[in-house]
Amino acid sequence: MKIALCSTFVPFLYGGARNIVDWLRTMLEKEGHEVEVVYLPQLDAPDLLFQQMAAFRWIDLSAADRVICFRPQAHLIDHPHKILWFIHHVRLFYDLYDSPYRDFPDDLKHQGIRDALVAADNVALREAKHIFTNSRVVSDRLAKYNQVDSEVLYPPVFDAARFYCGNYSDEVVYVCRLEHHKRQHLLIEALALTQTPVRVRICGSSAGPVYPEELLALVARLGLQDRVSMDNRWITEDEKVDYLANCLAAAYLPVDEDSYGYPSVEASHAAKAILTTTDSGGVLELVSDGVNGYVAEPTPAALARALDRLYTERDKTMAMGVAARARLNELNISWSHVIKRLLA
Amino acid sequence: MKVLIVNNMAPFVWGGAEELAANLEKNLVLAGHQAEVMRIPFQWEPAARIASQMLMVRALELINVDHVIALKFPAYLIRHPKKTLWLLHQYRQAYDLFDVGQTNLPPGAEGDQLRRVIRNADNESFRESRKIFTNSEVTRQRLAKYNGFDAEVLLPPINDPSLFERGQQGDYIFAGGRINSMKRQSMLIDAMVHAGPTTRLLIAGPPDSPADGAALASKVAALGLADRVRLDLRFLPRETYAEYVRGAAAVAYLPFDEDSLGYVTMEAALAGKALITTSDSGGILGLVKHRETGWVAEPNPAALGEVMGEVFSQPHRTAERGAAARELWLSMDINWPATVERLLR
Repeated sequence: MKIALCSTFVPFLYGGARNIVDWLRTMLEKEGHEVEVVYLPQLDAPDLLFQQMAAFRWIDLSAADRVICFRPQAHLIDHPHKILWFIHHVRLFYDLYDSPYRDFPDDLKHQGIRDALVAADNVALREAKHIFTNSRVVSDRLAKYNQVDSEVLYPPVFDAARFYCGNYSDEVVYVCRLEHHKRQHLLIEALALTQTPVRVRICGSSAGPVYPEELLALVARLGLQDRVSMDNRWITEDEKVDYLANCLAAAYLPVDEDSYGYPSVEASHAAKAILTTTDSGGVLELVSDGVNGYVAEPTPAALARALDRLYTERDKTMAMGVAARARLNELNISWSHVIKRLLA
Repeated sequence: MKVLIVNNMAPFVWGGAEELAANLEKNLVLAGHQAEVMRIPFQWEPAARIASQMLMVRALELINVDHVIALKFPAYLIRHPKKTLWLLHQYRQAYDLFDVGQTNLPPGAEGDQLRRVIRNADNESFRESRKIFTNSEVTRQRLAKYNGFDAEVLLPPINDPSLFERGQQGDYIFAGGRINSMKRQSMLIDAMVHAGPTTRLLIAGPPDSPADGAALASKVAALGLADRVRLDLRFLPRETYAEYVRGAAAVAYLPFDEDSLGYVTMEAALAGKALITTSDSGGILGLVKHRETGWVAEPNPAALGEVMGEVFSQPHRTAERGAAARELWLSMDINWPATVERLLR
């Protein structure tokens, strides 16, 4: 089958939104399909929204038997067999409209833009043969704001078979971009309050130098240099596999994430328990407290108690790791399931 | 520097322009830049949708890019303050092909209107570009004639030169590249009747259509040339293609009025092969100099057959001409590092 995968991008920025497209391409090609990936730019500036929406409407992909669309405004593409794997709205005009992230006034003009955007989205969504999302959170938003049903199709990680469980060190690893909303600082603050010699390893690159410098200063101020290892770079896939194989457990502490997040799925493939917080959003679709990890209040004290339990109650920590791997099957997180559903 | 290469995408078709963009990306990275290719879908049928697709390109918003290098219509309409064009082609059906009646634009007022739209958008895009290069002298002249813009010729380098280091002088004439009536492989088969009995020919490459391939096979059979003409009609792995070039006595390439030097002739020259073409092959004549780097024959089977015979009756001459072809190619100094530098200047 000829399949076009359509999404939007910022040139030279890489991350989860590209992974889901590029990995799917590889898996579809393995199955013998012809795949074209279409990445076009999209800027969320209110005054430029509609000309860009028109641009997506004019794309001619009639050469494809079906198109699968990801980030907005790719869902506006006109095609008789359009499948959406919807991963988020233009959020400033949806769930983030009433939040500090909105950087324009709530006036008649912007309310008008919002209403027109929602109306256009409603049409484009209803043109699709089927709508999949990457999480319950996004499906709930589609139901709430656009009144459409959708099916959650969790994005798997690439080549999951390379993850394995080796040993259990004293280290809780957090492999993720270093960003304030991922809250590596909270993990460090918690570590200062622990009663056990549990350790923390933080790995990831960051968009700017400020947050990593703050983290280093925090480690120094709390005197935790010998219990925190920090690697401010995009570690190799082999290093990641190795750290996850031999850690005690993994941490993932984002603020209200849309999806469960690759760090927690990768940890599950390595059969490691996951430490997260009650406000982590989509991560809670994967992690249940005391079952496949701990869901702590987002405070240093609560996280410190969880870190100590991971360290002292090792049998339970190991059992939760095994349960984490089993949870992936419960949620049907696999490429075979994804391809079966997308091509149904 | 973050350099975005902007090219067209004919969905599910991969050809020379895609290959060029991929190699430009690779060589920008080798030169220490960040590089990425953005491919914008474009279908020129039906013609009524050309204008909306032009608008589509114009409406896109680019951020996080320091420099754009755009290659084709309508991809080069993209807006960016630092845009360099490396023009592979304009929409020829609105220009020179229109003049000779080969156009998909509708006749009458509607087509005239569409041509005006294309010309105006082209001119605006050319004006806002900091520099325009073309891939050939023909493209440069066309741009000057129809749009009145100056450009510099920047010939695309060979993508993988290490594959074409010199090989042995073998016992066959090689004709490579896509197989179709414009490339006139059938004339080479006809010419074999007029070449000496020691002349051997290998035609290898992907036929544009099954009929193109079948026509060659039946001609070989009809002329009783099966023992001297070999056909390998398929998309060749790059390494196989290069092996055929390296092992040849000479390389023949007869496109009609080609724009550029032609990858087939460039690669053969680098491999030190004597070159055979016809007097009407256009840009190919930039590399094929009669009795210097090879032979330029009149475009008929008898004249072509005569020079094909000479390849084997005067092997020392053939070797000398192959060496001269290589010298001429190397003297042009067309390589990726210099090309990248000029594009970013």
